[in-house]
Parts: sequence; C-alpha cells; structure tokens
Amino acid sequence: MSAALESRKPSTEAPTTALDIGLGIVALLVAMLVGYGWFLGFHVDNAHNGLIAASFSAVGLYVVRMRPRHREGWLFVAVGAVHAVMFFGRQYGHAEGVLPAASWIGWLGVWPLPLAIALTGWTFMAFPHGRMLSPAWRRAGLAMLAVAALMATMSALWPVDHDRIGMVSPHPLELSGSETAARLWPYLLPSYALFQVLWTAAVVVRLRRARGDEARQMRWLVYATVMAMVLLVAGLAVLRSPVPGALVVPLIPVAAGIAIQKYRLYDIDPVINKTLVIGSLVLVVTTGYVALVVGVGSLIPAGTGWLSLLATAVVAVAFEPLRRRAQILADRLVYGHRATPYEALSRLSAQLDEAPEELLDGIAATVANAVGATEVVVWVGEEARLLPQAGWPHPPEPSEPSRLGELDRGAHRHVRPVVHRGTVRGAITLRKPAGEALTTTEVRLLSDLVAQTGLVIAQQQQAQELQAAARRIVSAQDAARRRIERDLHDGAQQRLVTMGLELGSLAEQAQASGGPELAARVKEVRAQLLETTADLRELARGLHPMVLTQAGLDTALRMLADRSAIPVRLTVAIPGRLSREIEVTAYYIVSEALTNAARHSGADVVTVEVARVVEGLRVGVSDDGCGGARRRHGSGLEGLADRVAAVGARLTVDSPVGGGTRIRTVLPCA
Amino acid sequence: MRVIVADDAVLFREGMARILTEVGFDVTGQARNGTELIRLVRRGAPDVVITDLRMPPDFADEGIEAAAEIRSFAPNVGVMLLSQHVEVHHALRLMDEFDGAVGYLLKDRVSDLRAFAADVRRVAAGHVVIDQELVSRLVSRRRERDPLAELTDRELQVLALMAQGLTNAALAEELFVSVKTVEGYIRSVFTKLGLQPGEREHRRVLAVLQFLRQQ
Repeated sequence: MSAALESRKPSTEAPTTALDIGLGIVALLVAMLVGYGWFLGFHVDNAHNGLIAASFSAVGLYVVRMRPRHREGWLFVAVGAVHAVMFFGRQYGHAEGVLPAASWIGWLGVWPLPLAIALTGWTFMAFPHGRMLSPAWRRAGLAMLAVAALMATMSALWPVDHDRIGMVSPHPLELSGSETAARLWPYLLPSYALFQVLWTAAVVVRLRRARGDEARQMRWLVYATVMAMVLLVAGLAVLRSPVPGALVVPLIPVAAGIAIQKYRLYDIDPVINKTLVIGSLVLVVTTGYVALVVGVGSLIPAGTGWLSLLATAVVAVAFEPLRRRAQILADRLVYGHRATPYEALSRLSAQLDEAPEELLDGIAATVANAVGATEVVVWVGEEARLLPQAGWPHPPEPSEPSRLGELDRGAHRHVRPVVHRGTVRGAITLRKPAGEALTTTEVRLLSDLVAQTGLVIAQQQQAQELQAAARRIVSAQDAARRRIERDLHDGAQQRLVTMGLELGSLAEQAQASGGPELAARVKEVRAQLLETTADLRELARGLHPMVLTQAGLDTALRMLADRSAIPVRLTVAIPGRLSREIEVTAYYIVSEALTNAARHSGADVVTVEVARVVEGLRVGVSDDGCGGARRRHGSGLEGLADRVAAVGARLTVDSPVGGGTRIRTVLPCA
Repeated sequence: MRVIVADDAVLFREGMARILTEVGFDVTGQARNGTELIRLVRRGAPDVVITDLRMPPDFADEGIEAAAEIRSFAPNVGVMLLSQHVEVHHALRLMDEFDGAVGYLLKDRVSDLRAFAADVRRVAAGHVVIDQELVSRLVSRRRERDPLAELTDRELQVLALMAQGLTNAALAEELFVSVKTVEGYIRSVFTKLGLQPGEREHRRVLAVLQFLRQQ
C-alpha cells in the first residue's frame, strides 16, 4: 500500500542521492551516540532521552526520506538529534569510573536541556505540517526559544543545572558569577512548566479548530500523548517508578509519524473509542471493587474471601449498564454529535413507521447525522432519470432529471447508487466538509443506510402504485356513474317523459270523444308512469349529482342539505372550484354521512363543515345521534374510507355508542 | 299565442309542439339547442319560449343561459324552463335574475296538458311558476326549530301556493275564497314568519323560497 502511496508522490519530492547520504550520516551518528550511550549503562533518569532520541530521529528521518520538504519531519530529526547528543553526554557523565573528558562530554548532556524542551515544544506546536497556527503563535514559540537559549547559555557557563540533574561529572568551567547565576536560576526554572502549558494550549487550540484530515492527524498525536501521560501517572502512582511512562514515550513520535504519513490508512477513532470505554470501565470497576472491599471490610470484621466474592458479583452485575454508559459517553467524545451506526440504524427503523412521504427526508437526515455530512440529497428514479426527492438540511430544489453518472458534479460530493433487486432505484449524494474524507466506519454505515433506502424507495413506489391504482378505480367508477346518469337522462328518462306527454294527450282525446272510462284508465297509467319517472330521477341523482359538475361543491352540498331528512347546519368556505376528484370525494363523504345519519342515528341535527384550509379541504360531518357506527366490510363507511384513501387522505370515524358520530378528513388539494 | 320550443330530444320536442298546437298554441319554431333558440327568437319573437334546461353542447344549464340572453334583447318574451330535476339554486337564480315572466317545471308536468298550458299562459302573462315538487320538498323539510309550526294548515297551503308563484287572484280561485280573504292569510303568514312582502310577485316568491331554505 505504501508503494501505491509513494507512486502518487510528486516527482519534486523524490529523495535525491545527496539527501540519502546526508540522512544516512545523521542516522549513523544518532545510532552511534544512542548505542554507545546504552552500552555505558542504564540510568533511569536518562532513559527517556535515549528513547526520545531514537524514536524521534527514526520517525523524522523516515518522514524526511519520503517527503524531503516536510517541515515537521525535519523538526523531528532535530529533536531526535539534540536528545541523542544529550543522552550520550549524560550517559558518559554518569558512567562508573571517570572516563576521559567526562566533565566536558557530561556538560553536553546538561546545558542543551532547555533548548531540547523548547524545540520539542515547537515541534508539537507545529504538528502536523511543521507550521505554526498563526503569526501570534509563532511569536510565542520564538519567545519560548529565546528564553530557552538564555537558560541554555547560563547552564553552559555555570553549573546551575548540574546539581539538579545529579550529574556525576563536574561542570567543566569555573567562571566567576556562579553564585549570582545560582540565585537567578530558580526564577527561570518555572519556564519549563510554562513551555509545556504553551504547547499544550497550542495543541488543544489546533485540535478544536482542525477539520477533516488535520483533525484525524491531531487525534493520533493527542491519543498517544494522553496514553503516555496516563501510563506515566499510573506508573508513578502504582509502581512508584517513571519507567512505564518513559518506555511508552516512543509511542508519541510513532503515532505522530503515522498521522503524518499514513493517516488515511488507519482510522484512529475506533481505537480511541475502545480505549475510552475500557479505560473508564477499569477505573470504575477497580474503584467500586476497592470501595466495596475496604468499606464493607472495615464494618464487618470477617474473612476477606467472601467479601471479594461479593464485590466481584456486585461489580459483575453493575458491569453491563456501566459498559453501555461508557460506550455512549465515548461515542459522544469521539464522534461528537454524530450517531453511532447502531443509533443511526435504530433511528431509521423508528422512522420507517412514520408517514411514507416523510421517510426519505428522515433518511437524508439520518445519513447526514451518521457521517457528518454538510448536505445530503436523496434521488429517486431510474439510472438515467433521477430526481431529487428529499434532502438535508433543506429540501432539494426541483430540477431536471439527472443520470447517475452526472451526480458527482461539485466539490466533495460522494455518490452512492441505491440498488434494489439489481435495479437502480435511486441514489444518495452527500457533501463532506472540505478536506474531510469518509472514514471506513462511515463507509460501512453509509452502505447499510443505502441498502435500507432501497427498501424504503421500493416500498414507497409500491404504495404509490397502489394508491394510483385505487385512484384509477375510483375515477373509472365515477366516470361510469356519470356516463350512466347521462344515458338515463338522454334515454330512458327522456322517453318516459315523452310517453307521459303522449298519455296526457290520449287522456284528453278520450275525454273529448266521450270515453270517460278510457280517459280514467289512461290517467291511471300516466300516474304510474310519473311514479316511475320520479324513482328514476332519484336513481339518476344518486348516481351522479349533475349540480356538482355544473355549479360546484358549494351548491351541491347546499342541495344535499335541502334534501336531507335530518336538519343540517351547513358551513361551507371554499374559494372557487376545486379539482373534480376532490369535489366528488367531498360530496360523497357528506352524502353518505347524511344518509347514514338519517337511517341509523336518530339524530336531531347534523353539522356539516367544509372549508379550504392550508393542508387541503377539511370535511367534517357530525351528528348528535346514538353513535356506534362501524366500518363494517361492505358498508358505506368502508367505501368512503377507500375513496378517501385513493386521493391520499385518511378518513377518521369517531362514533362512541351513545355519543354521536363524527366523520372527518382533510383531502389534499394540489 | 306564439310559442317556440327547444329540446335536444326530437320525440319529446315534436310531441310537445303537437299537443301545444292541439290546445291552441301557435308553435312558431323548434330548436335543438340554446343557440338555435336564440336565433329563432331574434328572427321572430314569440310570446313565450319553452326550453329544456340541460342541452347540448355541455348538458349543463344552457337553457338558463339562452333564456337570459333572450331576456336581454326581447324582455317581453316569457320563459318556461323544463328539466328532469328541479333544484332550489336554479329556482332562486331565476327569481333573482329574471324580472318575472319565468317558469321552472319538471318535464313530467307536460303530461297534464291543461295544467301545463295554464302555466305557460301565466308565464306569458308575466307571472312566475315554480314546480310544486320543489316547493313541497322545501315546505316538508324537518327543521331544528320549525317556524312553520306556527302556521295553520290553511296558512301553510297559502305559503306553498305563493312559493309556486300563484298571484292573489289565482290563490283565491284555487282555494275557493275571496281575494280579500287570501290577502288576510298572506298578511298573517308574513307576520308570523317575519317576512317583508315584496312589491313584485317574483320578489315575493324569492323571499318565500329563501325563507323555506333556511334552517
């Protein structure tokens, strides 16, 4: 993999032979100084210098060999080299039996210390690119270097630091003024602490500001540093030894090296996450265990055997909820507001229960939340015709259909086709903040979400197809009713009326020609005929109210109220005409409700309210009758509910026994 | 009396023309739709037109539209509208927009030739005719608080006949009482219902219909 990375490096950064030779010499020198230093014996107080020298040099040289212009690499080399010299000097000065020139070489192990500390600080402040955050930070760094230089000079001239470090070999110079220097020195010593505060502040500020790759690089460094600190403190506290802390010091440059060179290859987040969980658990469990054993033990003077057992049991019982809490806390700390994969998926499945039209919006939001995207768009359609259907943080602009291959236009846009049963059903596109790539975790989570989206889109399309089919059935039914009404009007009704006219004429003639019996019989037939036409008239009106088509819903509802067997309080507020589909649906709701009320409810009055509201056409019919209306199979109410569902609305029937009946809906108006 | 009839159903139209001729009308023209009717009236204005309400091209309310136009250029031509259904909103519109001389009946009514001929003559004479089915539907409606309950049977009868457009004289004839008695009934009805009697006949019909339609 590194070969692949190297091949992509620009040619200007290729290592030259001269550079190789130079780096080789530096490596050799550091190796000699550190190697010979170790050979001279082991001194706990010096060990960290040796480790720093070896690790920083190695990492720095590697980075510089790969990317000769990388400033941070050179800083690492410098830190390593200074520490190598110091390590060697100290080891030499500490050696058993005085070696030749011990005091001068030992001197080299003492006075560069302030410079080494300041240089290390600078290196941290400049991580990961080798540049300071801002000119202000740069000035602060330079001030640090200046103070360090002053201290190093003093330390070089007078033995102010020799005694503190416990150097065996004496200071090689015996200049006057050493007492003054010794008096001043304690005032300068706190500078070391200030240096550390300064670079810690720089790292924290950079960590907070960092986005994308830089943030990921910073996390590597901070993780290693914190681990080293924890081990140092733990070692000091438990073993009363700095050795564990010192031994893990190389972790820091190694982590930093990975951060500089390979941050794209390894995701530090899960590691940090797990460490936080395990760390906090170990802490809590240990504390709980100790508190229990010590606390209860002091109260009950019994054998500690069963106490340990009890403590173990209690801790074991408490473990699982604690682990979960710790996991959530760790997720928050590491991912910020981003959801864990589990959270994201469970939130999504909770949304699957919601209204289908909002589902895709929910998916967009879930995706954004899960991968920290700045913009998410859900596209639906075929591979060559995708339309934006939902989006986060705002709904997408309506646009022309796009091909799948065109969706990756624009910066930082990631495209994931949504495939269901081998067919492209849509796509999810998302934008990450500049410089931020999808992590392996995010890629996995995204593919899970995309798979779910496929199901949702397929389900939604089926629901839409079903509704469209229901709509077609209802409108075909309405068309058929209109046609039959028209046929009756122009055919049977017309003919019956004409027959009535002829019978009337016959009756007149019979009367005139002196046949009163015949006239009476003809009139009898005519009367029957008129009853038939009246029946047919009602039938035709029930099939399709012509008034609705002619004069609109307002008039048609008024007509229903006029003809209702129960008094109707009618309130209609509709500005102008609505679509035929909605008018007919509203008409049938009121018609059916009035018929039901007249037949079954025994109500004294029915209230009908029809009003155009923002969401659509609100239709409500309520009576003060006996209630108990049920949506039985094949009943008028069921037919109404189906009709209402066909236009994408829902019919609510509230009919408690003895409490009247309320039928409500809001029909969507385009 | 000259009449023009308009209906898209040829059998009904011709049948009507024939019986109208039998009872003494002079049928001067037959039209298949509103446009034809208007053209015929322009050519020679009759005393009254009898037209179907629902005709080609849209089978909506072409009859009323044609009647309104005829009224605009030939205000003295009476208009009788026939329909398979009689609806309150149409009746109200006719009473409101037409200054009298207008009728609105179910097509069925033509089978009672004498009554129909009388209604056509009343329209031609400038009076108003509203189908009795429409009126009885309104009168018999259940109401939450029924103001009609305060009327006597006779007053109720008077109210219904007024709504059908009968004049005081016609009312007196129908009820076999004097015109003075009829006027007494009418005053009583209007007082009990809190109605203002209109100056003109069709205004009175309009007021009564509107009242009957209220809850």
